Amino acid sequence: MEEEIADYTLDYAQSKKVEYAEVRAQSQVQDRIILRNGIVEAYASAVDSGFCVRIIANGGIGFASTNKWSKEEARASVELAFKYAKAAKRKDKIVFAKEKGIEAKWSVGQKRKIENVAPEEKISAFADVDKALASCGVKVAATISQCSMDLITKYIVNSEGSRISSFVPKIGAYIFITVVEQGKTEQGYEQFGYSGGWEAFGEWKIGETMIHNAKVLKDVITRARTVKAGDMDLICGPEVVGIAAHESCGHPMEADRILGREMSQAGRSFIYKGGKYWIGTKIGSSKVTVVDDPTVEHSYGYYAYDDEGVKARRRFLYKGGVINEFLHNRESAAKLGTRSNGSSRSINYDREAIVRMANTFVVPGDFTEEELIEDVKNGVYMKSFTEWNIDDKRFNQRYVGKEAYMIKNGELQYPVARPVIETTTLKFWSAVDGVSKKVEFDSATCGKGDPPQGVPVYTGGPCLRLRGVFVK
Amino acid sequence: MTDILGKTEEIVKKAKKLGAEEVIARTTFGKYKQVRFSNNQVDITVAWNDYVTDITLARKKRLVATQIHDFRDVDASIKQLIGLAKVSEENPTFGGFAKGSFSYAKSQPDKKLEDLENPAELVFGAIDAAEKEAGSKVDSGGILFTKFEDVYQVSSEGPVGTDRRSAIEFSIRAFSEQEASGHGVECSSTLKNFKPSRAGAKAGEIAKLARSPKVGDEGVYDVVFDPLIFGSIIGQWAGMASAFNVLVQMSVFVDKLGKKVGPKTVTLKDNPAAYSVSQRVFDDEGVPTKGNVFIDHGVLKTYLHNTSTARIFKAKTTGNAGLVAPGPWNVEMEPGDMSKDELFEDVDNGLYLTNTWYTRFQNQAKGDFSTIPRDGIFLIEKGRIKQSLKDLRISDNVLTMLGNVAGISKERQHVHWWMEADPPSLSPYVLIKNVHMTKSR
Repeated sequence: MEEEIADYTLDYAQSKKVEYAEVRAQSQVQDRIILRNGIVEAYASAVDSGFCVRIIANGGIGFASTNKWSKEEARASVELAFKYAKAAKRKDKIVFAKEKGIEAKWSVGQKRKIENVAPEEKISAFADVDKALASCGVKVAATISQCSMDLITKYIVNSEGSRISSFVPKIGAYIFITVVEQGKTEQGYEQFGYSGGWEAFGEWKIGETMIHNAKVLKDVITRARTVKAGDMDLICGPEVVGIAAHESCGHPMEADRILGREMSQAGRSFIYKGGKYWIGTKIGSSKVTVVDDPTVEHSYGYYAYDDEGVKARRRFLYKGGVINEFLHNRESAAKLGTRSNGSSRSINYDREAIVRMANTFVVPGDFTEEELIEDVKNGVYMKSFTEWNIDDKRFNQRYVGKEAYMIKNGELQYPVARPVIETTTLKFWSAVDGVSKKVEFDSATCGKGDPPQGVPVYTGGPCLRLRGVFVK
Repeated sequence: MTDILGKTEEIVKKAKKLGAEEVIARTTFGKYKQVRFSNNQVDITVAWNDYVTDITLARKKRLVATQIHDFRDVDASIKQLIGLAKVSEENPTFGGFAKGSFSYAKSQPDKKLEDLENPAELVFGAIDAAEKEAGSKVDSGGILFTKFEDVYQVSSEGPVGTDRRSAIEFSIRAFSEQEASGHGVECSSTLKNFKPSRAGAKAGEIAKLARSPKVGDEGVYDVVFDPLIFGSIIGQWAGMASAFNVLVQMSVFVDKLGKKVGPKTVTLKDNPAAYSVSQRVFDDEGVPTKGNVFIDHGVLKTYLHNTSTARIFKAKTTGNAGLVAPGPWNVEMEPGDMSKDELFEDVDNGLYLTNTWYTRFQNQAKGDFSTIPRDGIFLIEKGRIKQSLKDLRISDNVLTMLGNVAGISKERQHVHWWMEADPPSLSPYVLIKNVHMTKSR
């Protein structure tokens, strides 16, 4: 990465009649391994690097990127971005919420550097997962495993004097398995993610996790019973709580959606100006507080400064069951008369930074998991999920259980096959009457933007007890 | 142009000299532009220039890949890649890259899309078209995207080719009320055949019809699918025809070759033809692309293959490589013999769905899934649209729905939208019987 080209690009942009200019340069050393049934299909290793310039001129935004590091290319990119900004012909001029220029350097440490781990060790670490699955007593008919390792160096400069350098190593894995027993199939997957070094691999315990998954799927085929549909209590495990926090709290609280900027793709939000829900409106029980926090150390969604150079901090989205604070970048914050809370992220130099979550989770309460279960006469414990989705206003959602158990008189009974909760955001969060003490995180890739930008995030929470919800 | 092909060929020769057994290098010069708009105004206009050479090589059945962005550090990159191949593990099912010398169809790009001066201008007319249909209070958003790629591909196994690929896509969603919207798309490989106002008018028309929606009822319905939502559905079906997805059981078509999977009226073909936004004359191994009928009159005829998967299934490559996984380029459903109006007339009590998103599976081998219709959802009674609805979900099964196709329109539309109606398709209106709809409780 050539910082002097980035500086030159900013200088050149500032020689134009611009209201704002920003250059973001990024270099990404990437390793990708794909295995099918424990055998390496392909190993890819490459360096992707380039830079973009974003300009506000005449109230419009223009953006141009290139992976050719030259002053000539820099000038051409500026000319293009400047031309596009002016061509927007906006009635409402775009401005950014005020920020002071910041000079900073930040990085995430690695106990064991990814770049020092030999390719053969990386391969065998994943192949070993398949070996473990092969001898776990469950017929695993197929696996597909993908591993990604990225060393991300960024350099952001803008016309307000910010100059921020960063280095973040990220490591992720995704494993999908198919179990066949008694001629029937069940499928499941797990995703793992970490900001840091190869030490993540030991902490994840992928082998144990996937063996547990295989046994759960076997149970679904061989032992599980269907649930008799009706109103009942539902204990949601951290994985289910995490996806609900992400889908029905994090997404609808993204200010760009609220303002309609994602209307044609990821959609709008049930929260909108002049609507039933806004800051201060009740959306759940007083037990519910959901935060989004990029500062969780070594989390998959970790960052210290966002991609507009705003310092990261914890955001309280739903607080005590009340809509509290939207996720903002500088553009949305200006439109709603507030300050950015550092939620602007981009997946690479060739994508604009937009409002994103980082690590979204429910804050812990004061119950133990056992205490939550003890007080359920008739209900289901949904520990993990398989199929899920939510509508584009983020109000009607569905989670289908993967590992789930019937609860009778405070005790876990037999496995339940594919229990379904299909409900609204308001009903889900309003039904919560108990929150456990221990928060657990899962890794995920959050999709948004056009072209799509999958960003690494954590989802998570403690266990929640929902009273009297319809389960089928 | 010849110079770039020569440099790409040089990479292949160097890799062979350094120990690679089979090599494919592909240099792509891509120019991409996008206008994003919302609330009837342009939010941002973006240009990406991307210069990349993808190098994939095999050594002792070890497949490794890298990318370089200029031709300066070629030797170091190849040496590193050979080193990686030496320590990687053998893939016994690697079947080699396609061998032979092929002649390709002539690329048919639109040069006008290479340097489109002001793409934002194309957006304003479509916003106006939506307003004309749904009134001045309509609120529109979407994207205009253009692509122009020069591709130079050389394989050590014989195939050498150049291709030029152009595309222009427009997607517009218009809201007439907070919960009443319509979506239209317009896709073409040439500017000449590109009419974004058509998409604007359709989005506006649906948005107007969608006003004052009521929450729909759960139940089993006969459903008329608009080409946009049906494009999402056949995109899923075509993805499941990939031999790689069959191998990893992410497909309902495992063990279904030669078997009936739908009624005789259903014929599906993959075809990256010149009109398509995914036009291409060769695949990633250099095999000429062609139309591949994978479901022929309801019978699953073939999976979509690269050379390796073809060898596993004792078949021939279909020109759908992907060096690891083959996949569909552009799905075409053969037209039926009914008009759109006749499809509606066949429905006594059913639904008309116009778009969907967030399709997720419980089990891809079984095909159990749900997806959430968005934009116009309409109750049909006695062949006519009776009421705008909202908040319904399709909760059904791929094979069941495929088996229940009851009518296909003559008219088809080339559709592609975001991650949802992907890959691109040529999609008709389709009537499917007994579709299960659920809702929140």
